[in-house]
Amino acid sequence: MTATLPRTAPAEAAGTRRSVPTVGEDRLRRLRRRRFLADLLVIAFWASGAVAAALYLATGGLADWATAGGAVTGLGILAGLVGSDFVLAMLVLAARIPALDRTIGHDRAMAVHRRLGKPALYLLLAHGALLLVGYAMTAGIDLGAQLVQLWELPDMPLAFLSIGLFVAVVVTSLVAVRRKLPYEFWYGIHLLSYAAVLTAIPHQLSVGGVLADGTPQRAYWIALYVVAIGAIVVFRIAQPLIRSLRHDLRVERVEWIAPDVASLYLRGRRLDLLGASGGQYFYWRLWSRRTWWHAHPISLSAEPTGTHARITVRVLGSGTQRITSVRPGTRVIFSGPFGLFTDAARTSPRLAIVAAGIGVTPVRALLESGDLAPGEATVLVRNSQGEEGFLVPELRELAARRGVQLYRSTGPRPAGGGWMSAEDAARGVTLESVFPELDRSDLYVCGPQAWTDEVVAAARAAGVHEDRIHTERFDW
Amino acid sequence: MRTRAILGSALAAFTVLGVGYEVGQAATAVDATSATGATDATSATGSSGSSSGSTTNSDQTSSSSSGSSGSSGSSGSTGSSSSTGTTSSSSGYADGTYTGSSVSTRFGNVQVQVTISGGQITDVAALQLTDHDGRSVQISNRAAPILREEVLSAQSASVQMVGGATYTSQAYLSSLQSALDQAS
Repeated sequence: MTATLPRTAPAEAAGTRRSVPTVGEDRLRRLRRRRFLADLLVIAFWASGAVAAALYLATGGLADWATAGGAVTGLGILAGLVGSDFVLAMLVLAARIPALDRTIGHDRAMAVHRRLGKPALYLLLAHGALLLVGYAMTAGIDLGAQLVQLWELPDMPLAFLSIGLFVAVVVTSLVAVRRKLPYEFWYGIHLLSYAAVLTAIPHQLSVGGVLADGTPQRAYWIALYVVAIGAIVVFRIAQPLIRSLRHDLRVERVEWIAPDVASLYLRGRRLDLLGASGGQYFYWRLWSRRTWWHAHPISLSAEPTGTHARITVRVLGSGTQRITSVRPGTRVIFSGPFGLFTDAARTSPRLAIVAAGIGVTPVRALLESGDLAPGEATVLVRNSQGEEGFLVPELRELAARRGVQLYRSTGPRPAGGGWMSAEDAARGVTLESVFPELDRSDLYVCGPQAWTDEVVAAARAAGVHEDRIHTERFDW
Repeated sequence: MRTRAILGSALAAFTVLGVGYEVGQAATAVDATSATGATDATSATGSSGSSSGSTTNSDQTSSSSSGSSGSSGSSGSTGSSSSTGTTSSSSGYADGTYTGSSVSTRFGNVQVQVTISGGQITDVAALQLTDHDGRSVQISNRAAPILREEVLSAQSASVQMVGGATYTSQAYLSSLQSALDQAS
């Protein structure tokens, strides 16, 4: 194969003026490309569900629908195929695949992952129930006897275990229940989803008529599992481990900057190769006896250098308590970087940033790394108490250096709710008054979820286009 | 959700389902022509073939009841065919043709006939296979040759079941075992 190196066309070399794309055009092109890929992902997802159903249709399954029992059985098979396909899609979404993160953002991928949980579980439950009823109708026996017969088929006890695990995983992950559970408990149960996925496989391949030996259906199905499980193994285990060891990242020191806020200074080799930019986050797993099992998603709070990175943590629970009390020298296993909360996601000439509490950390790193003209960016930092304004001195210094307008809104929020302090709300401050050029701005919002939702609602009410609102959620 | 994504998804899903349906229609058409082939029963030679089409799963325990009728718990049918005494060679089967019991499944009955020659299993013929509907005919027609090959190479009924043909496999091997019990 011969490829010629690209070179400047003679016409241009002769001095013809070519319109250089402005920053705006460049950003717009990137945005269009990301949107296109995101749409492609949606299409691929629904198409994969359709393929799962088509596997059944292609075996001529519809011929069985002549009898009521056959039709119920057929529906049960369809539910199982599509439900499993959804489960595999959930695995892919949770695999932290870098390309997926760059397209829709890891946090949005996880939001879709969460949304799929219930439909997938319902389909799998329907699969079991419909097949039980359908088989019983065909055989003309009662459900109890049918259940015994099902249990006696090869690999079926494992399948029953699998559905039990799926129920446990989804129930413990539903928002309402999850709030009441400690993270550790939820996490432990959630790990069982791997067991749930694996224990479901044998009965699919032995009892499942659609996926019988030697059929193309079986080959496709196995390929699906290989891709989904492979993505998990590569991007959640192998790659983080290899990169962590290669970069030899360790905690250098821990510095408390407020009673409940600490910065961890990390030291490693060739950190520039990670390609991380300010505002992005990693999953950090501190390799000490008390912290190894829990990875925390935390933003960089400073632009990383070749040898150093810094994260800033607010102690919110026992997990963050433990990671701020590790010894210097502790090895750090990380995966990342993630997040579109960067310069790369921008679409507009101006930059408006609203941050609350610990949400200020990615903002600080974003300001440090972003390619900003003086006057281009405006920042509003929100704290409920004055002394909480950690990193604000750094932010102030950075703002002065980069020509960024910095506002603060400090004090308790109004009784009726709102994202500003009560005092500012009473003075009639609005999103538009803080950011007069809001209609030409990218709005970055970073803070606790409920507060972020309020800011986003205010922004939508002010007519800010969806593509210009950038948020990042760190909750698990 | 953007219109492009929605329209694209609908189009892709519709196309995929359409292709699946067409393939399925073609598959059922083929089945309909080839379905009846395997099921002609050439009635059992030299067997008492009691064929108690009973429980699906009654694992015919292979207690080697050499000729002695009555004792074994398996479905009646003592292998009474002529050559009971001449147990030859390694596997210990007596030459002859034996018909296994007919085992019923939700998808229809299954019955096989085994031929022993020189003490070896030389052939297994399916007298009856699951035929409840087009799908089960399709499945069992695919599974039977695989099972036959496995049995011939393993020289016993202890072989792996064919994936996706659990009922057929269980019944086939169960019927086979009852035939082998007669031969041993």
